[in-house]
Order: sequence, then structure tokens, then C-alpha cells
Amino acid sequence: AESSLLLPRAGGRRNARGENNAGAWTPRAPPPTRPVLRSSPIGGSFLALARLRCRCRFLSAPPQLMDMSGPRWKKGKDGKDFAALAAAQPMSSNVTKLQSSLKGSKLVATLCSGGGDAVLGVNPQQAALLNRAAFGRALENAGAEKQWFQLGAEEVFYLHHALECIVVESASKDLMSQGELWDHLCSASESFPEMYKAYSHLRSKNWVVRSGLQYGTDFVAYRHHPALVHSEFAVVVVPEGSGFGGRCSRLKVWSDLLCALRASGSVAKTLLVLTISSNVCELGSPDCLEQLVVHERTVTRWIAQQCREQRCKPCREEAYKEEEDHTGETVVSNYWGVILGLTVLSSLLVYKLRFRR
Amino acid sequence: DGSLKFLVGYKERSMAAASRDRRRRGRAPGAASAAAAVEDDGEEHHLNPFLSDAAPTSSRVQFRNVASRARWVEEAGAAEVLDSKGKLWLTTGVTRGGKLYYNVEEIGFLAERGALIFLDDEGGTIGMEEIYGKIAGGKYGCSWDAFQAYKHLKLLGYIIGRYAVPWTMKNNPTCETTDSLERMPDTDQSFNRADGVHNGITKLLKEMHIDGLHPSFEVYLPNSKFRKSSPGAPCFLLSMLRDKPPSRDELETIESKCDGIPLKFCQVDNGRVSFLSFDKVRLPSLP
Repeated sequence: AESSLLLPRAGGRRNARGENNAGAWTPRAPPPTRPVLRSSPIGGSFLALARLRCRCRFLSAPPQLMDMSGPRWKKGKDGKDFAALAAAQPMSSNVTKLQSSLKGSKLVATLCSGGGDAVLGVNPQQAALLNRAAFGRALENAGAEKQWFQLGAEEVFYLHHALECIVVESASKDLMSQGELWDHLCSASESFPEMYKAYSHLRSKNWVVRSGLQYGTDFVAYRHHPALVHSEFAVVVVPEGSGFGGRCSRLKVWSDLLCALRASGSVAKTLLVLTISSNVCELGSPDCLEQLVVHERTVTRWIAQQCREQRCKPCREEAYKEEEDHTGETVVSNYWGVILGLTVLSSLLVYKLRFRR
Repeated sequence: DGSLKFLVGYKERSMAAASRDRRRRGRAPGAASAAAAVEDDGEEHHLNPFLSDAAPTSSRVQFRNVASRARWVEEAGAAEVLDSKGKLWLTTGVTRGGKLYYNVEEIGFLAERGALIFLDDEGGTIGMEEIYGKIAGGKYGCSWDAFQAYKHLKLLGYIIGRYAVPWTMKNNPTCETTDSLERMPDTDQSFNRADGVHNGITKLLKEMHIDGLHPSFEVYLPNSKFRKSSPGAPCFLLSMLRDKPPSRDELETIESKCDGIPLKFCQVDNGRVSFLSFDKVRLPSLP
């Protein structure tokens, strides 16, 4: 009966604190059972260990929570993080410099047929500005005079419409007006209006926005250049309103929402949902952009088990994942408990062996 | 040899990157610190543009020493190779009537690496701008996304040819498959007939429109003994995906063209290339 405390169980026997196992209370279904050490001296001492560990739990270091309060800056070769460098070169100034440099040069980006991407050739100074403002992806090139960049659909339109620093020609070399470009990009991708609205919303606040497809989301948002900082937000764009027609949109079923939450947490990003709402039915021109409203929400998980100490910060999915994986192993979930337990156990073993002789 | 050196160099770099990733992931899982647990899955390594004034984006991979010269032939939608150096040509380009031809993705790949001097009819050099223009235009049988996929695999050492385009026609005087460079009216094997060549391209492009989805490339494993005269069966066929995941219908259409050769799909997102399989399975009934 005593040793049943060793088995994590849902419901079942709980002590006065509502804990069914040394320190952990969980309403979840029982994990696979472990072999029970019943009524052996070792088992008994194991029990003592468990109780001891239970008390120790509150003395030892609390479980490490993900720090969600700030950006994760990358580190330079000198070991210092890039926060200072980023502060000295705010994104707004990088974008302004890019804008003023490109405006006069009438750069032409060429659209790729069949898609929304475009190719842009620039001189080395302009390339440096594009890189610093985090637009486009440089194409490898063996020392040609021009540097070539590939721009995504949102980037093309932002550089053209919002920053007004490039012109765009079609694949067949015809210059495109803003309206023609909008039409082309909308036909290449049905969700372009809401994607672009989300992109320009974040960019206008000086966040760096990149494709988030590799993480299963629409975008990822960085506080500064991706070389200096890890992205904080995984962004999912959800259109809302009759203007968007019958589009399949995301996060309409629990499996999708929880999938996005899990995926973003496993790469240490907060899930940011941008709901783009429209009460107008016309998305046929860039003028509709002014009518679209962006609502920002984050989806985060709160782990009841881990937040009982003073600092009760919301935890990233990472912590939740660990919690789940360790449900069957709560006996060893605490570092100090393990070390202490091993010490106690080994000394008990030594004692037993000597006693047997 | 330039080609081999460059392949080794690239492999070394990618292996170094992979082992760096492994070391990072291997840190104690118990330490739920920001450093270990949150290594971004597949996050790109970004060059820091704030450190040096002139961050060179030109490729480390260059092989001007083995640069070939090729002349664009509009009717063929390809470049005729005038002289080739090194060993790149063993796994690149198709042979017709004793001449070697590079198609647009091959031209783009080689030019980006400094391995091609690309000429027009008058012998003047054609620059990257026009090369990218030809690919972006999509009129020569290769889209921009397909070019990204081609480049990605080629850099890894795979041997890639266009779907249903024989590497060489020497052994097949009468060919029944259509290909982009030649359309064979019965016994005529002359490549130089502009009409035949032009019709060939048009027909293939038209087919692309009708069916919608079809394999784009035939891919062979890296092989130093690869021979165009007997390439064997490809390791897999590669089909490009578009802005939406494929429907079951589309999958079955293109599978019907594969003749039992494994099929992979490629999705390109802003230049980032991913490969997926949508294999039909039959789960066993369990006892």
C-alpha cells in the first residue's frame, strides 16, 4: 500500500496535498506502469527517498521556466550578445537608408512567371542595405558585377507600394502598375491580401518578417536582423469576414490550433495569431488594405504544475513537452533528488552487503 | 576535377554545419536553458551584415578554370556548347547530333558558379540578368522554382536531367518519346532542323499545360561513372509543387507517368527547398 505512492496515477490515492506521487499532481491518464518495488528493504528505502525528495523539491532549484520576457539575442565571436549592436542600428534607420538609396535608382525587379517571387539585381552598396534591412535572399554568384536577390511576394509589394523604392516588370518585361502587380500577386496566391496586410503591419512596426513555412506557420517575426537575434514569434494569419470569400482558413479546429502551438513552442517561439478582418467585399485593389484591420493575439499554454512558486510566468510549449515526457518518470524529474537519492541508495546497498556478510 | 573539388568542398561545409547542429542538440536535455532546448529547427545561418562593410555574397565556389563557352540557340531553347573544359559536361547537358547542349537551368547553374561564358549569336557575352530573365520567364521549360530545386540537388552532387529528355540520341535513331530539343518525324534524326526543334519545345510546353502536373526532373545518385549513353533508371523522379498541396487526383495523375520509378515532390518557399513524398500505402490489417 505504501509503495503505491511510487506509481503515478490519475485520480487514485492522493495525499493531503493532492499529490499522487512524490510532488506531482496530474489529472491526466496514467502512464504505463513501472515495476513496483514492494516490501523489500530497497523498496522501503526507495520510499524514504521519495519522501525525502518530496521535501527536497522545495529546497532545491525550481524547474527552469522558459524566459519569455525578452528577445534571445545571438552571440558574436567575442561572446557578447548582439543587443547593443542592434540598439545602435535600429531597423527603422536601416529601412530608411535603404529607401532613400533605392528611390533614385529606379531599380527594376523582374517577376517570375507562375509565382509571386521576383529577382532583383543591385550594386554592392545597395546589396548591403538590402541585407541590413533584411529584405530578400541573396543569390550565390561568382563575382558578377551585380548582386542578385530573390524577393518574396510580400517583399516585392512592400518595396514597391509601401517604400516606393523599386519598380516591377512582368516576366515578359512589361512594367507593371501597382494595380497590375496586386492582381498578379493575388492570382499567384489566393491568400495574398491577408498575408500582405499582416506582413506590412509587422514591418511598419519595424519587426523583421520572414517566411515561417518551415515551422508550419505563415511568418516568423524577428525583433531585429535574423543574424543578430532568434525570432520570437511564429505568426499565423487568419482572415475573417465576408470579403475573404469561402477561404479555408487556419485554426478552425483544435487539432490545427494545438499543432501550431506545439510546433511554435518546439522552436521556442510564441504563437502570434493575426486576425485580418474585413467588412468590405472588395479585395481587388491595394486600396482595400486601408480597410483591413489587424488584431493581434498570442496563444500560450499555462502549465499548472510548474507555476506554483512565486514567479508564475506562462511557460513555453517546451516546458509542457518536457512535463509530458516525464510523467512516467517524475521520480527522476528533479536533479537534486536524483543525486541525493543515489547517494542514499548506494550507501544503503553498501550497508546491506556488509550486513549480509 | 574542378567539379569534384567543388563537390567535396560543398560536402565538407554541409557536414561541418550538420555536426555543429548535432553538437548543439546533444546538450543535456535536463538543462532547459534557452541555449540547448530552443535551437531553432533548421534555422538558416545568417551572415551578419553589420560587421563588415563589404560583405561578399559572391560564392566561395568558383570554377573559372574550367569555364565552358556556349552559344544560345533560340530555336532550341538551349545553348550549344562550343568548347567545354573539365568534367562537368559528363553529367550536364544533352547530346544531339554530336553536339552538347545546355538547357536554361544548366546554364543558370553553371553561370552562377563562373563555369560558363554565355554568348549570343554575334559572340557577345550574355550576362546573369538575361539568364535569370530566361528562367523567370518560364518559356524554356523550367520555372524559377524548378531552377532552385535543380541547383539544390546539383550542388549536392546529384545528376539531374529533364523528365523524358534522353541524355543522348546516338543509340536511338527513331525515338518515340517527345522531348524539348527534338521532335522526331519518323526516320529523320537531324537536330539542325529548326522546325523540328522548335516544335519539340512547343509541344512539351503545351503538354505541361494540359496535364498540369508531371514530373520535372529525373534524378540519379552521385556517380563518378555516370555515362549518358547508358544512364540506367533514375533513382527518383521529381515533380514541382505549386502554391497549394496536391490533391489526390493530381497525385494519381502524375504517378501514372512514373512507370514504377519512385516519385518525390519539391516545394520551394522563398528559395528554401523541401522534398516530400506522398506515397500510396496499404496499411496491413493486423491480427
